[in-house]
Amino acid sequence: MLSIKNLYFNYPNSKPVLQSIDLDFKVGNIYGLFGKNGEGKSTLMKLMSGLLFPTHGFCSINGKNMALRSVSGLQHIFLVPEDFELPALQIAIFEQINSSFYPNFSKDRFYGLIDEFQLSTKDKISKLSFGQKKKVLIAFGIATNTPLLLMDEPTNGLDIPSKSQFRKVMAAAVDEGKCVVISTHQVRDLHSLINHVTILDNAKVVFDHPLEVVSDKLWFGRPSTSDADAGIYSETSFGGKTIIERQDRDESEMDLELLFNGVLHASPKIKNIFQNTNHEA
Amino acid sequence: MKHRFSGTSVFQFIRRDLILHKATLVTGLLVALVLLFLFCWLNMLWDQQLATSEFFGIFGLFYVPLGILFTFSLTKEFNNPKANHLFLVLPVSVFERLCAQWITTTVLYTAVFSILALAVGTLAIIMGIITFRADFNLLSLFSAPYWKVVQLYFIIQPVFLVGALTYSKNRIGKTALALGILFLALLFFNFILYALFNHGYGIFKGESLGSDAFDLASADFSLLGKWFYGLVFGPLMLVVAYLKMAEKEV
Repeated sequence: MLSIKNLYFNYPNSKPVLQSIDLDFKVGNIYGLFGKNGEGKSTLMKLMSGLLFPTHGFCSINGKNMALRSVSGLQHIFLVPEDFELPALQIAIFEQINSSFYPNFSKDRFYGLIDEFQLSTKDKISKLSFGQKKKVLIAFGIATNTPLLLMDEPTNGLDIPSKSQFRKVMAAAVDEGKCVVISTHQVRDLHSLINHVTILDNAKVVFDHPLEVVSDKLWFGRPSTSDADAGIYSETSFGGKTIIERQDRDESEMDLELLFNGVLHASPKIKNIFQNTNHEA
Repeated sequence: MKHRFSGTSVFQFIRRDLILHKATLVTGLLVALVLLFLFCWLNMLWDQQLATSEFFGIFGLFYVPLGILFTFSLTKEFNNPKANHLFLVLPVSVFERLCAQWITTTVLYTAVFSILALAVGTLAIIMGIITFRADFNLLSLFSAPYWKVVQLYFIIQPVFLVGALTYSKNRIGKTALALGILFLALLFFNFILYALFNHGYGIFKGESLGSDAFDLASADFSLLGKWFYGLVFGPLMLVVAYLKMAEKEV
């Protein structure tokens, strides 16, 4: 669906933000795009949606270069940015003036989600909190029914009940014909939602694997004394949780935060384990 | 598909722009029409009449600046880093966006403002007849002064559209400054050309060189100059506006 080939990007007069990025996003998956602050997650989202143009390489959706911002390309994609302003209109009017550009837009879906988010169609967007505005945009993005939905830090600004509501809504929104990419540095928020992890570090993709492969290759938990030396990465702060190569151990519960930290701190060891694994979900 | 053109998309985009900027447009129109009424009405205080040329002189004072302000207002979303993502990722081609914004800020705006201004002008004449015993004059859009003002607006509006798309802060001031510098440069260029080609004929007296230069350069448009400024300059600026839109990054 969305393919990124040999992509480089830097803002004018600054160091490279992204280097040699090769990624493929396929339908039926929810990708978690993780990275520390300033690692280029938002930039990559903007490049994927055609809001920025690569310095080198390209990003295409079904073969259409996103930097050209063609109508057919844009009809396949919707971006929920991290920080945004919406016009001072009623929610219903906001929907009316923007939905007509998306051929598969579902009004029922939009108004259903607005109701689920406990908002009213007569609410004026300018009077809503940032979290509520984010819910309006998330509802609109889901209702566009674009095959690719990009969300940049979607849980920022949402309160705790809203975060679990978001996970519920997203889980229901994704079907076989859709692909969702969620960029965040709040790894725990998306633990139960994603099925593919992509991690950026030092302007490069350092990890890109489906969760089922991760479960197959790695074991997360407190090691027995005999495994003490086999640990790839461990954290004393969470009761000594460790990542170990799984081998013949039983499947463990995935700890995304531990995986993220492990990838950043023990990258060569983890890379070695995944060396012969193809990037397929 | 990058260059797709769909009338439906253009119509939907015009509708979107008008709804988004309804409050600004209505307020601007009301202020301009009230001022237009007062200017027209008070104009009849001196000579008890409002000639067609006088009316369209006053009309131009409001029609052109309001149109320019409306152009800047309409492109505000384009340059707002927190709002332009929604604008730029809408599945509408650059050509459709440009057509929609041009139609809204020129054709639609001119039609609406002209009809309302004509009604306000007629009302001012009626008020003038009642209060100042002014002469009746039937104002009409089918008059040369009206089309001159409209022509001027259609030529300069694309320049301001380019300015509105280019600058993100102090947009009106920067565009006016750029236009002023461009005008002075053209004036100087015209004068140099005129001087080069005509100096041998002894047309410069010496003592009034400065005023001669201004008069000649601003009044003496050649056929080529008229053709360029009247027909090519506006569309050329629209091409620049198209490229500005296509190359926009957030």
